[in-house]
Amino acid sequence: MAEVWTLSECSFHGLKDVSYELLARGRALADELGVLLGTVVLGHRIQGEDLQSLIEHGCDVVYVADDQSLANFTCESYANVLVPLIQEKGPQVMIAAATTTGRTLMPYVAVKVHAGLTADCTELAIEKETKNLLQTRPAIGGNIMATIKSPDHRPQMSTIRPRSTKKPLPDAKRTGTVVRIASSPTWKNEQVQVLGLRSLEGQSASIEEADIVVSGGKGLKKRDNFSLIEDLAKAFDGEVGASRDAVDRGWAAYPHQVGLSGKTISPRLYVAVGISGAIQHLAGIKTAKCIVAINHDEHANILNLADFALVGDLFAILPEIQKRLQERSRV
Amino acid sequence: MKYQYGTVTKALVGELQAIVGKPNLMIDLERIENYSHDETSKEEYAHTPDLVLTPTSALQIAAIMKLATRERIPVTPRGAGSGLSGGAIPLFGGIVLSVEKMNKVLEIDEANLTVTAEAGIVTNELNEQLKSRGLFFAGYPMSLETCFLGGNIAENAGGGKAVKYGVTGRYILGMEVVTPQGDIVELGGKVTKDVSGYDLKQLYIGSEGTLGIITKATIKLLGVPKVASNLLVPFASAQEAIAVVPLIMKQGIIPTSIEFMDRSSIELTCSYLNESLPLEGVGAMLLIEIDGTDEQTVERELIQVGDLCSEQGAMEVYIAEDATTRERIWSVRRNIAEAIKVYSPIQSLEDVVVPIASIPLVLPRLEQLKAKYQVSIPCYGHAGDGNLHATIVKDPQMSLDDWKDLEPKLLSELYAFITGELGGKISGEHGIGLKRKGYLKAVTPPAEYQLFKALKAAFDPLYIMNPGKILD
Amino acid sequence: MHIIVPIKQVPQTSDVQMDRQTGTMIRSSSASILNPLDLYAISAALELKDRYQARVSVITMGPANAVKVLKEAIAMGCDDAVHLTDRAFGGSDTWATSYILSLAVKKLGIPDLILAGERATDGDTAQVGPALASWLDLPAVTYVSKIETVDGDTLIAERLIEEGYQRVKTSLPALLTVVKEISSVRLPTLSGKKRAMASSIAVWDAQAIQADSRYIGLKGSPTKVVKIDVPKVSRNCILTKVEDDVSLKKGVDQLMAFLEEKDLLPKGGAHHG
Repeated sequence: MAEVWTLSECSFHGLKDVSYELLARGRALADELGVLLGTVVLGHRIQGEDLQSLIEHGCDVVYVADDQSLANFTCESYANVLVPLIQEKGPQVMIAAATTTGRTLMPYVAVKVHAGLTADCTELAIEKETKNLLQTRPAIGGNIMATIKSPDHRPQMSTIRPRSTKKPLPDAKRTGTVVRIASSPTWKNEQVQVLGLRSLEGQSASIEEADIVVSGGKGLKKRDNFSLIEDLAKAFDGEVGASRDAVDRGWAAYPHQVGLSGKTISPRLYVAVGISGAIQHLAGIKTAKCIVAINHDEHANILNLADFALVGDLFAILPEIQKRLQERSRV
Repeated sequence: MKYQYGTVTKALVGELQAIVGKPNLMIDLERIENYSHDETSKEEYAHTPDLVLTPTSALQIAAIMKLATRERIPVTPRGAGSGLSGGAIPLFGGIVLSVEKMNKVLEIDEANLTVTAEAGIVTNELNEQLKSRGLFFAGYPMSLETCFLGGNIAENAGGGKAVKYGVTGRYILGMEVVTPQGDIVELGGKVTKDVSGYDLKQLYIGSEGTLGIITKATIKLLGVPKVASNLLVPFASAQEAIAVVPLIMKQGIIPTSIEFMDRSSIELTCSYLNESLPLEGVGAMLLIEIDGTDEQTVERELIQVGDLCSEQGAMEVYIAEDATTRERIWSVRRNIAEAIKVYSPIQSLEDVVVPIASIPLVLPRLEQLKAKYQVSIPCYGHAGDGNLHATIVKDPQMSLDDWKDLEPKLLSELYAFITGELGGKISGEHGIGLKRKGYLKAVTPPAEYQLFKALKAAFDPLYIMNPGKILD
Repeated sequence: MHIIVPIKQVPQTSDVQMDRQTGTMIRSSSASILNPLDLYAISAALELKDRYQARVSVITMGPANAVKVLKEAIAMGCDDAVHLTDRAFGGSDTWATSYILSLAVKKLGIPDLILAGERATDGDTAQVGPALASWLDLPAVTYVSKIETVDGDTLIAERLIEEGYQRVKTSLPALLTVVKEISSVRLPTLSGKKRAMASSIAVWDAQAIQADSRYIGLKGSPTKVVKIDVPKVSRNCILTKVEDDVSLKKGVDQLMAFLEEKDLLPKGGAHHG
């Protein structure tokens, strides 16, 4: 029976969290279909314990491609591993994370294997009668949920929004197989070379992966005031986000931008400060678990989406919250 | 004495509360502080009222005015508080009467092309509701995202589209007004012609809340123009830019707007917005909008105006037809006032207006004033209407005392020039309010000024209706 | 150097209507604009044009009035344009769209560089760029925030990824998708506009690019929209007004209790002080 596959992503520190989230998705689909769950891991010097961990988190078969040429993601190398593997093993479903890697690799591969691909899904299900994969994604700025399927093509491919599922609990008793894929000269990328990585200054800007994001907007009035957001993010142990207005004004760098022309995020807590909530911004936070808004305008759009709102002068409110959080951390 | 008033007693507060209900009466200092100022500098002009009322109907307002008349309590009407001349500041304390809760559209009459709405509706909100019917209210104050219809009428707002569409007053067919004595009066209606007696409606338009309180209005609507596009035209000098304005008007094309921005206005705003307009060698820019019903006509007119600008020495002619680009350049224009305010909150935002042929004469005089008083005066505005926002800015280093000494001298000199040699007026759209009443007296011929005073006394003999504004 | 920039016409606002039958957008219901993120690709191409004397071609697939976005691009400074339009293209998903675009690129001749916007603001998939590279077997370098140098047939760029800015070298020809940090957007000029009005824009249909009818349009798209839902906003906002010191204290108290209950507060002690 054709397997369900996920793509596991590695960073320098081992597997990314999102790889486990995908296993939770994949496990549910594989169980529904009564098939094995496979995952493909590409990288260099992948740790054995990581492979074991994938199995403990729900995977049945781990396909490993470990080679120096795969140390960094380059689209062509990774595709040269994945395309023949898909053609050989014929999985019925292939899901990857909607990260910069997933969103680059999957469309490239989908063309080569003539498969349908749905971007940035938030829900997956199996259609009872046909056993087709139903992929649901927010469209048109999150105003609409579209359900999409690829009935006549295999694998059915999707990218999944990070943090849209919980990481499953490990089960040390689970067993599975590790399949090592023999290296091939086609993996070496003659065309693209990674030269280095420059980390983002100050905050790590990976707001897609953050549990808590504190965002600031036009209501902060000027650049100097944006430090209030940075302080609050720190106190919450979260990351700094920004509305398009704030980024356009140079108060925060583009990697921090939340919304349709920035990033779509699903943190556990999103704190929107001085953000009125243009549709484009709301589209980026609709899947946040909890939204707190701090705004002077009780008619601001953001309040339609917020779970909790403080309406008043943010320059009075922020220091007070900051104070409380600091008192707590001293306890 | 004219400005002698009764006190707001506990008993009176109780009576007022009985009229509007508890949620619509504010008396604690923290909350009423917001109603102590408008968009003029708080430091210079703010004054706290005794209490703030947010009535929900004209009947309530009438009852309030009856009490105010009985007790001789000053009443200051208030819209969104986005005014720029101190018109909504309760100079003598008393009651601030905010129409913020009267914000409904009452009727959209498509057959007569009118809308009737309460005074507290946000102008933009009104247009949002009309949009789906292909109609719009052609008043276009630059603060349209916040300002209220009532304030637009009371100030006869102009704004960015007046070259083609004229100012607010042109679209007001009828209104409901509560007089200082507490009578509710309907003026005008849905008719487009009316010489049945004195035109009181016109008198209320631009009266800055000194004759009564506008509670609702019936507005003439137009069909939304299907196409609108912009030109952004940099010139090496402000003088060259402004000299083109009368030439454009002569071509027989009526642009929706011709906005002027001098270099320092653009620089401050670009740095505020982190925007990167090409500025090398630029002395000023014109932002021109043309709208219409079909693309070909708008395109043709745009090119004609653009070509004229090129002939007149424009450094480049940028064209914005795509909505993203249009929004980008308008955003610069709309944010100038805010950007200057962030640079220095203490300033005098002027809106002198001159016959359009005289616009080129204004700038050299501003240069002289800059040099003489050693201040910066970023200048921008509605060049197509001859209406310029010269903004005299207190340099952050200058002391407040020096500023207070300098401001009146400079303004007197500017106003004398504008009203004298150029045949202009000291305010085109922001109004006299508190800020310019002394200057108004100085530049108005005595006989005319006497008529102003007689008019005020006839409408409001107790001087309780927004006292201390326009006139003393 | 020859650069091709694929661009897209998108609806202006988010108040777009959907056809519930086909699951596709009703385009006529909303004003159209050039995809805002494509402006950065065009501007980046024009910067390269200034630096290396490139020719910049734009292509778009879309209905008759999509020619507007091509003219806009020419007014900004692009040199020529191709309009791909055919009823048979309608309803194409990203797979079919990238196929059609790849045929057009081949017909134009493989350029040194293809620069695409990161994604379009309507579909928001970011898939067409990498998919186009795949059809053409070109290196796909995505999320490019800076082009450092182009030297002969190599290009050095920075990519904005989750971990930071990654520096990469790629051989040319290649396809890059760009993020908005890459350039400041150029303004179209009147002389550019006149050039756009005078230029004859190539119009190609399915036959002109010899598209395989099995691979295009709704029928040729592997993905099918089966259902459209309008999600309900189920959030019930607890709203607290802060007007003075007392209500400030109370409001923040409530907020802290709310966050505590949802286990959203940072754990005390060991964390940032």
